[in-house]
Amino acid sequence: MQRIKHFSLILVATCLAIGPLQAAEEKHDDSQANARGPNGGLLLQQGDATVELLIFEKGVPPQYRAWVTKDGRVVTDDIDLDVKLTRLGGQVDTFDFAYQGDYWLGDGVVTEPHSFDVEVTLTMDGKRYRWQWESHEGRTRIAPDIAQQAGIATAEAGPGTIERSLTTYGSLTMAPQQIARVRARFPGVATQVNVSLGDRVNRGDVLARVESNESLQTYALRAPIDGIVIDRRISNGEMTGEQPLFAIADLTTLWAELKVFPGQRSKVAVGQKVRLRAEGIDQKSTIRHLLPAPGNAPYTLARVEVDNADGTLTPGLLVAGDIVVETVDAPLVVDNRALQSFRDWTVVFIRVDDTYEIRPLELGRSDGTLTEVLGGLRAGDRYVVENSYLIKADIEKSGASHDH
Amino acid sequence: MINAILRLSVERRFLILSLILVLVGVGVWSFQRLPIDAVPDITNVQVQINTEAPGYSPLEAEQRITFPVETALYGLPNLSYTRSLSRYGLSQVTVVFEEGTDIYFARNLINERLGAIKSALPSGLEPEMGPIATGLGEIFMYTVEAVPGATRADGGPLNATALREIQDWIIKPQLAQVPGVIEINTVGGYDKQYHVTPYPKKLLQHGVTLDQLADALRANNANRGAGYIERNGQQLLVRSPGQLATIGDIEQVVIANRDSVPVKVADVADVAIGKELRTGAATRDGEETVLGTAMMLIGENSRAVARAVAEKLEAIQPSLPDGVKVEAVYDRTTLVDKAIATVQKNLLEGALLVIVVLFLLLGNLRAALITAAVIPLSMLATITGMVQAGVSANLMSLGALDFGLIVDGAVIIVENCTRRLSQAQHQGQLALKERLQLVFEATNEVIRPSLFGVAIITVVYLPIFSLTGVEGRMFHPMAATVVMALLSAMVLSLTVVPAAVAVFLRGKVNEKESPVISGAKSLYRPALLVAMKFRWLVLGGATALVAVCLWLATTLGSEFIPQLDEGDIALHALRIPGTGLEQAIEMQAQLEETLKDFPEVEKVFAKIGTPEVATDPMPPSVADNFVILKPRDQWPDPDKTKDELVTEMEKAVTQLPGNKYEFTQPIEMRFNELISGVRADLGIKVFGDDLDQLLASANDVLEVVESMEGAADARVEQVSGLPMLSVRPKRMALSRYGLTVAGLQGLVAAGVGGENAGLIYEGDRRFQLVVRLPEDIRRDVDSLANLPVPLPDGGYVPLSEVAELELAPAPNQISRENGKRRVVVTANVRNRDLGGFVEEAQSRIADNVDLPAGYWLDYGGTFEQLQSASQRLAIVVPVTLAIILALLVMAFGSLKDALIIFTGVPLALTGGVLSLWLRDMPLSISASVGFIALSGVAVLNGLVMIAFIRDLWHEQGDLRKAIVEGALIRLRPVLMTALVASLGFVPMALNTGTGAEVQRPLATVVIGGIISSTLLTLFVLPVLYYLLHGKDEKVQ
Repeated sequence: MQRIKHFSLILVATCLAIGPLQAAEEKHDDSQANARGPNGGLLLQQGDATVELLIFEKGVPPQYRAWVTKDGRVVTDDIDLDVKLTRLGGQVDTFDFAYQGDYWLGDGVVTEPHSFDVEVTLTMDGKRYRWQWESHEGRTRIAPDIAQQAGIATAEAGPGTIERSLTTYGSLTMAPQQIARVRARFPGVATQVNVSLGDRVNRGDVLARVESNESLQTYALRAPIDGIVIDRRISNGEMTGEQPLFAIADLTTLWAELKVFPGQRSKVAVGQKVRLRAEGIDQKSTIRHLLPAPGNAPYTLARVEVDNADGTLTPGLLVAGDIVVETVDAPLVVDNRALQSFRDWTVVFIRVDDTYEIRPLELGRSDGTLTEVLGGLRAGDRYVVENSYLIKADIEKSGASHDH
Repeated sequence: MINAILRLSVERRFLILSLILVLVGVGVWSFQRLPIDAVPDITNVQVQINTEAPGYSPLEAEQRITFPVETALYGLPNLSYTRSLSRYGLSQVTVVFEEGTDIYFARNLINERLGAIKSALPSGLEPEMGPIATGLGEIFMYTVEAVPGATRADGGPLNATALREIQDWIIKPQLAQVPGVIEINTVGGYDKQYHVTPYPKKLLQHGVTLDQLADALRANNANRGAGYIERNGQQLLVRSPGQLATIGDIEQVVIANRDSVPVKVADVADVAIGKELRTGAATRDGEETVLGTAMMLIGENSRAVARAVAEKLEAIQPSLPDGVKVEAVYDRTTLVDKAIATVQKNLLEGALLVIVVLFLLLGNLRAALITAAVIPLSMLATITGMVQAGVSANLMSLGALDFGLIVDGAVIIVENCTRRLSQAQHQGQLALKERLQLVFEATNEVIRPSLFGVAIITVVYLPIFSLTGVEGRMFHPMAATVVMALLSAMVLSLTVVPAAVAVFLRGKVNEKESPVISGAKSLYRPALLVAMKFRWLVLGGATALVAVCLWLATTLGSEFIPQLDEGDIALHALRIPGTGLEQAIEMQAQLEETLKDFPEVEKVFAKIGTPEVATDPMPPSVADNFVILKPRDQWPDPDKTKDELVTEMEKAVTQLPGNKYEFTQPIEMRFNELISGVRADLGIKVFGDDLDQLLASANDVLEVVESMEGAADARVEQVSGLPMLSVRPKRMALSRYGLTVAGLQGLVAAGVGGENAGLIYEGDRRFQLVVRLPEDIRRDVDSLANLPVPLPDGGYVPLSEVAELELAPAPNQISRENGKRRVVVTANVRNRDLGGFVEEAQSRIADNVDLPAGYWLDYGGTFEQLQSASQRLAIVVPVTLAIILALLVMAFGSLKDALIIFTGVPLALTGGVLSLWLRDMPLSISASVGFIALSGVAVLNGLVMIAFIRDLWHEQGDLRKAIVEGALIRLRPVLMTALVASLGFVPMALNTGTGAEVQRPLATVVIGGIISSTLLTLFVLPVLYYLLHGKDEKVQ
């Protein structure tokens, strides 16, 4: 007997020594996860009525489905089930339910984000049941002073003009009609040459006089166009031959031949505005022609007239041309800085008081600064433009979950 | 043998005493070499292999670098496991070796293997081993800053690049020479680079390509030696200098000739000092800064090295350009000094208390001094042992030293000698020979129980040695130090103590029964008689007490390892993966300003991302913040606890958008980074090849775990979420234009990432010359699509024509363990027993999760360590108890007596539990160590008591009388050992200085336990003995 007693004492000692090593377990109150029904929906219970409410989104746009039971028996008719969703900013969506064979189906699509205050009312056998809860996602609160300190700035969503452009490169050339080569009509000897290289001439100016070999008459060679003498192949006393004696070019207008590659071709059309940039120029013009490139090159040339009245540009200069391929007056645009990726969506964050929430957007066309919004945002919504990344970081930091 | 030693000690007493001088000499010499730190080093034996791979994405880093490196390490001797991390621009493989492996040996082995795979790695990439340092290595940090308004000598601004240049070329080379410093790591600022930024349009116009530009720079930037010539007997060296030195030089480099006109760099590009594509940054008080960290070589004395670094930094300051100041922001010396002050105070006060008690109870100053002399002597011997065993002095190793326990043996001997000597002197003065004989006899009488006691206390520390891992590294030094101290005290009480008694206790030995003792005796006698009368009541009461305390013990909270308060705060600021460095710096500014607003805060600084040497590879989305607090007396409310402050800070900073925080402390943070195991209760690792499949399987596992009862904080490690811009070559289109994939990739890499085109030298300093597209083109994804790709026949094609630009999320890092990709699912367990949870998880996952072939699971986490520690202790503790029991049985030749003594253990533990409960402390390993020490003391007390009673009983034959008389005679030694042991710990239990929280639980347990154990030894033990031997007496 005594031995057993001693033995138990030893055991006690052993346990005490080991005790502290048994895990650093803290006491922790686990908040009970919301009860789930057999269909995976949220289980609402009150008295004898049970409603299981699910947002079903597999293969269909998100819709409400509900299963209603009374005292454990499935109810398929004679009830009035309503779901009212109040979203940030005060928008309210209401759903009525109709029985669909297996479940009660809500009318309408539950649009993203699934972030709202939910109110469910059920009228069954003359009794009213009511449930209310908050179901928020992609939402955060930031105190105004802290938001200001962090440099978070908002803007109002509204209409805007989107100018989409395409950068192309090409070189300046002269058009064929702007260069004139002058030959001697009858071979002879040049008796007088009036112009030299670089001289500016007007149409009709005498370039040279030639004494014809046959008639021995002297006749004048005149400039066919206004321009600059860019080539002179004859001097006093020389025989003219078959070759051109002068070339006169009109450099007051040049042509930029911009290369448009196949991937860009479909967007480019004659008449589009182009902004040309190069050393010394920054001017606007329009596409006059689209030509296939010479020699089976895979691109198209977009010819753009360039004004060179002051003569600073020379053929062969490389220019960049931003072709404005599309100008849209969109009813609703957002600043590109506001756009952030969030899960599979592109979103902006709207601000209502000090609460911020995602708005998944359906986007249209975009240029370097603005993007057209097709859906997901209302005109007049205030959305975060500057430091929108902070809002994304704040929402995602706690591991935002997509739960309903 | 003991006889012989004792006789030798008494007879050759002067020789023995002179040996003390040797001991003192060796001890003092050792003390100079004792590594001193605040906490024990809990880093495992590990080597980091870092490979910097500029521009490599996680996937490429893994495939090209991590995999070959890991493969090369297979089969290393003593290898425990490898883990790796592949991130943007970095591959890090951490090799963990078995405990006890020599780090230099390990590094040699790795070096050899790395040499063999050099050719398998992409050219230009060099795997490097991390510094030979541990978690305690980051001992000193400083910032390099510009005084407001200061400019460079040439008038330029003192910006982040200029400061970084000063750090790299003036400060670092000098600091790196301080003995004991293994590495100066830099983070922040920009490595100065010369940037040549060509404009695509100009390149097109002049018909030159990026490659040609880079080639031209390479071909025009070298000095060449050309031997020598002799002229008229004199030797002339020939040299052709052609290095580029200034921006002007670079601009004049000719790339090509077009129509006999040279195309110069300046024609197509801008040249300027540019910013590197950095992976890390540093901030201080909201501003960008340059932060240097001195890392200490493994095993050095952190206090000495930190001090040397600080002195050197002072010496460097005058050599810096005007307007630049370096400032220490973190200095380990502060913490170590505080911790040492705490330990010193504890030990000194403890020793003084012990001496006072000895004097009061022995009533003889000389005897008290002899006993007290054991304290410094055994301390010196212990220090010598620590140096030899490579144990550093710190809060833990010195934290369990109780001089009371150490002098126990000596107390018993001196007490007995004094008693015998004074008794003998009643018959007149003793002759020398008689005296010596008496000392020998008196010592011999008690030496065995006292040696026994020491042996037992030593044995009870054995279970601590069976701890492994972090706990082992934490507590082994403590156990080793205590055992060394006890053993040296044991040797001293065998030799020096009797010798000293023989030398110094001559003349009239004054042994007054001190009033304390006589008072105690007059109280004790009637009390004991009453107890023996109501023996069942006493026993019942004791049993009830044990039961109550047992229940009480389960209600105490528990913590695994005590936390040393380092006095400063560190916090991780975590942002979502994919956050850019510049964005992080902006967010950091707001965070630091908020923290700085606290009146208790002296300065705040942070490291963001990965430093130059990737000792701690963080992504740019993570920042390590250090919050250095002012001394307490400068706080508005000096009584505010650190916990309160942390709570307030947490409240303030959680309001800032976009950050998540983890509060910790600087050293603790470093340890966590290095050990870096799964820190949750349960970690389920999914191993396999395909990242998507891994993630899918991990999510399946997560679903199972989440559905289980008791699961909390279940989550899958975040592996994806880094947005990546992929430039996918269109092969058909490429071939149509006569381009190659490599050519295209080269262009994109050079354009966006930059291409290294050589070095620019400025004296010793060398800076990279980089060709890279201008910032506005690099940054804009749209204009990147229009980037002209030069064609072989001249002409160009836009990038979007030959490649697809696609923005999609990609893995932000790839973790591997033992050469296989892994994704970890972690969960904590609440309100449920861990073992059962793990078992259920295993079976449910096996049933519900379908893993494809080539994928497998591994279960780990804290539960593993807990389980193994519990299992090991479940064996070792009973074995230890059995050993003690066996020792007792050997001593008494009776199991019954041994068991009676043993009852002292649970009785002693009651006091420990009660005192913990009273002080509202949790059960921790520290406290457990206290319980272990307590068991030893309890057994020692019982041993002394029972041995005497039994001897008396055998002499006199009257059990009852023997018990009362024996108990009364042993009252003094029992009280003395108990008092010295508990008083020795009193300063430790009450101290509130830095590091006291580590020692406090232990001291509390021992004090409480000894009080209860003494009371119970004095009453319960005699009663129990009487009860159990009552029958035997009747038989007699």
